Amino acid sequence: MAATGSGATPAGETGGPAYRSAFGASSRVVVWVVAELHLMFGAFVLGVPIFASIVEVVGWRTGERRYDDLAHEFTRLLSAAFSTTAAFGGLLAFVLFGLYPRFMAVLAGIFHETFYVYAMLFFAEGFTLYLYYYGWERMQGRWKGLHVGLGILLNVWGTLLMLLANAWASYMMSPTGIDTETLRFVGTTWQAVANPLWIPLSIHRILGNIAFGGFIVGAYAAVKFLGARSEADRAHYDWMGHVGNLVGLSALILLPFAGYYLGREVYSASAVMGNNMMGGAFSWTFIIQAALIGILFIGGNYYLWSGMGRIEGAERYQPYVKYINVVLLLCFAVWLTPRNIPLTGEEQMALGGQFHPLLKYLGLMSAKNAAVNFIILSTFFSFLLYRRGNKGQPRPFAEQGRGGLVALVVVAAVAIGVLAWYGSSLLALDPKSLDLTPAQAHYFRPPAYLLFAQVGMVLLTAFLTIRDRGKLAQALFFASTVLASVFFLGVYGFVIMQKANPFLRNVAVAQWLMVMVCLLWSMTIDVVVFRGADTVGSIRWGKMTVRSQFALVLLCVTIVMLMGLMGFIRSGLREDWHIYGVLQDTSPWAWTPTNAYMTKVVGSIVVVFLGLIAFIFWLAGLGERKQEDGNPA
Amino acid sequence: MKRPFLGVVIFTLCVILAIVGIGELVTRVSGEGGRRPAVALISADITVEAGEAIFWGKGKCSICHAVGSRGAAIRGPDQGASGPLGLPIGARAAERAKERAEATGKTFTPTDYLVESVTDPGAYVVKGFKNEMPDPTRPPISLTPGDLQAVVLYLQGLGGRPDLAAIRLPERLLAIAKGAAPATEEWSPYISGDAKKGEALFFDADSNAACGKCHAVGDRGGKVGPDLTQVAGTWGPKFIVESILDPSKEIASGYESVLIVTKEGRYVSGVVKKEDASIIEVVDNRTKIQRISKAQIQRRSPQKVSLMPGNFGEILTMEEFHDLLAYVLTLR
Repeated sequence: MAATGSGATPAGETGGPAYRSAFGASSRVVVWVVAELHLMFGAFVLGVPIFASIVEVVGWRTGERRYDDLAHEFTRLLSAAFSTTAAFGGLLAFVLFGLYPRFMAVLAGIFHETFYVYAMLFFAEGFTLYLYYYGWERMQGRWKGLHVGLGILLNVWGTLLMLLANAWASYMMSPTGIDTETLRFVGTTWQAVANPLWIPLSIHRILGNIAFGGFIVGAYAAVKFLGARSEADRAHYDWMGHVGNLVGLSALILLPFAGYYLGREVYSASAVMGNNMMGGAFSWTFIIQAALIGILFIGGNYYLWSGMGRIEGAERYQPYVKYINVVLLLCFAVWLTPRNIPLTGEEQMALGGQFHPLLKYLGLMSAKNAAVNFIILSTFFSFLLYRRGNKGQPRPFAEQGRGGLVALVVVAAVAIGVLAWYGSSLLALDPKSLDLTPAQAHYFRPPAYLLFAQVGMVLLTAFLTIRDRGKLAQALFFASTVLASVFFLGVYGFVIMQKANPFLRNVAVAQWLMVMVCLLWSMTIDVVVFRGADTVGSIRWGKMTVRSQFALVLLCVTIVMLMGLMGFIRSGLREDWHIYGVLQDTSPWAWTPTNAYMTKVVGSIVVVFLGLIAFIFWLAGLGERKQEDGNPA
Repeated sequence: MKRPFLGVVIFTLCVILAIVGIGELVTRVSGEGGRRPAVALISADITVEAGEAIFWGKGKCSICHAVGSRGAAIRGPDQGASGPLGLPIGARAAERAKERAEATGKTFTPTDYLVESVTDPGAYVVKGFKNEMPDPTRPPISLTPGDLQAVVLYLQGLGGRPDLAAIRLPERLLAIAKGAAPATEEWSPYISGDAKKGEALFFDADSNAACGKCHAVGDRGGKVGPDLTQVAGTWGPKFIVESILDPSKEIASGYESVLIVTKEGRYVSGVVKKEDASIIEVVDNRTKIQRISKAQIQRRSPQKVSLMPGNFGEILTMEEFHDLLAYVLTLR
């Protein structure tokens, strides 16, 4: 790429210019756009294979061919998307080396060994993808296991690729192996890779990619559904949208926890960065983020509720939907409540101070933790109602055979193990490790006792399930989890913030574990209780409203916007540092944009990305049509 | 374009525009400033205006401190009239100075209190707040002494009278300003090594380190190089690291190497261990003693290069180096 000028900054250590401008444009915006597009395509080519693998395994184990076809259909899209991702990756490298030569010289000096590994992994992923796609028909029947293995291998390569790229991005935020005096890198490559934010960021991105893949599939299905001319097509794409939404929502449920973990580690890595994130320039960006996540959860739930309309028998559960809706809206109101907003003197006088007397509590972390847990439990409850829509009476446990008992015992053991382990850890926690006094250790007990109480609930509900009271068992376990995790620990969190603040993160983990165990255990009971149960009606695939399809499109657009927004936060947190605290950004573009500016840039990127994705889908559709006509390309 | 697809496109654009609208709204409500000056653009002059620019920009003070109705941060005390004691910081500093004088037994002027608050934030923490303010002289904030003076000047002006002459920075910062001392605290290893493994490396003649071949610790080890029995009690960690990685930078007295060229054309390089009127004994880098008759010496020249190998930075792994360092630092 031709470059003009050498920027206003002096030459860097490399002896050449520190910055260049591409045709007079802002280098920062050029890198921003290219990097974000590469990231979105990267998420697509990482998320869709995960989706395809999951769906293929389901098809393999259940023997339902439609799952296999769905996985195949999406793998076809990957070839074009893979080359587009690679092209954007190459362009990103060019613009980075061309426009930010000093920064890239430093980064390459630290990470150049990983660049070669990255290239090798890229080859491995490419070859595995083509083998996976072109070998689909050949590896049916007794070779299906091998094909599934190839799909898993494809995901292994993709995940390793992402881990390497994450190492570079996270190193820029939390550099390690630096001589604090000279600010020069004196560590090993592995030290640089294994920086404190590497794993938290990677967990967040993996889950984000799965949700992204699921919702993209949902939107694709929605568009096809809206344009379908036959009942069979509508039924097929309706079912596809259902699967995409399910996969997307499943990952979305876990994302707030991964985000909390990442945020916590950002704060641990640098208090300045952490404060800037939650109390500085980016605190308002998190308000927008909360609004987008709200759209995702409410949109996902709306789709489930709409879907109940096509399930005969689901009308029994429809009355509950409005209560779930109220809970979701209230929880999002809490999540959106800021701790404080800038007020004029008159406004403060009218309010009686900087904070609203009641709303100030809703802006605190404890309230937000409780709200997030309640949202997740409510969404899961929606899913259970949806799943149970056309089911009749549960099948007696005695008729479930040994499989049901084994599943129940194994999952109960896991649930008990997790709850008891963390409860014991809290009781054995050394207050000094949290900068607390021994006298404050008694604050550790209530959450620990609640975890042990949940252990008792697992045993009790397992007993009830075996005694054919599975539905009662589920209700009891749900109720106890909501009481313990949302209401008790939600309120107790305020006490902790006042009396033993560093322990709040442990309370949040206890809440999260209770909710996760509830999801796992309730799902297990549901599967065991309703396996082989009578149905009271059929699912009329294809009988969905147009509005529900637009909900799927909304979910897709929102998650792509959200991904762009999160990228802005992650990158922007470094402020005027290329490598935080080590290599300063002295370019003319080293300023933090406003949220208005950010949403415009990200919005433009999303339009381009969705346009390209639509083009790829159209290309894939062309081939499909030709094959249908009997004229393979 | 087919109708359903057109509908989806319009809907998609509407959603994106709505989110862009939320971004606009948030920016208006929050009063974000947009272009924030980069560090290089901030004036280096020590003025109230420069201090204000640093407070609200590069210094990141406003992330945690509001000033009355300006800003909304609550993590640290408000520096305006709505802060502690109901006084702006420039006015309440007098009260705080009295508290500090009582607590420390030293003289504190209001400006001394402000300087201490900025340069040593943990020394006094306002009741109800946590000791979590980072040292602004360290990265990523990295304020210079001039920046700090400007910030203090700005704080003085919040309810008081700015007075540059009253600002006395701590000695360490003054030294930095004069360029007499590095802007960092004492060096310490950033990886904690295993001293036991380091000891094994030190004395194992087959290891990459094998320091014991030349250096003694107590009764163990060779006598070619300086005795290291109490080296960590004499020298700081930084000097020891330098001595390992760059041994020629500063050679201990009595351990300078010499190059001897004999009349037979033989080259001998090493440390002189014994010398009298007729004989000189030199220990070479393989710890072998070479006896040379002075009558045979054609040329003798002191060397600036240490006998100790200078490639430990290459032959030791990161872990080995820090294990070795951990052991040497125990030798007091």
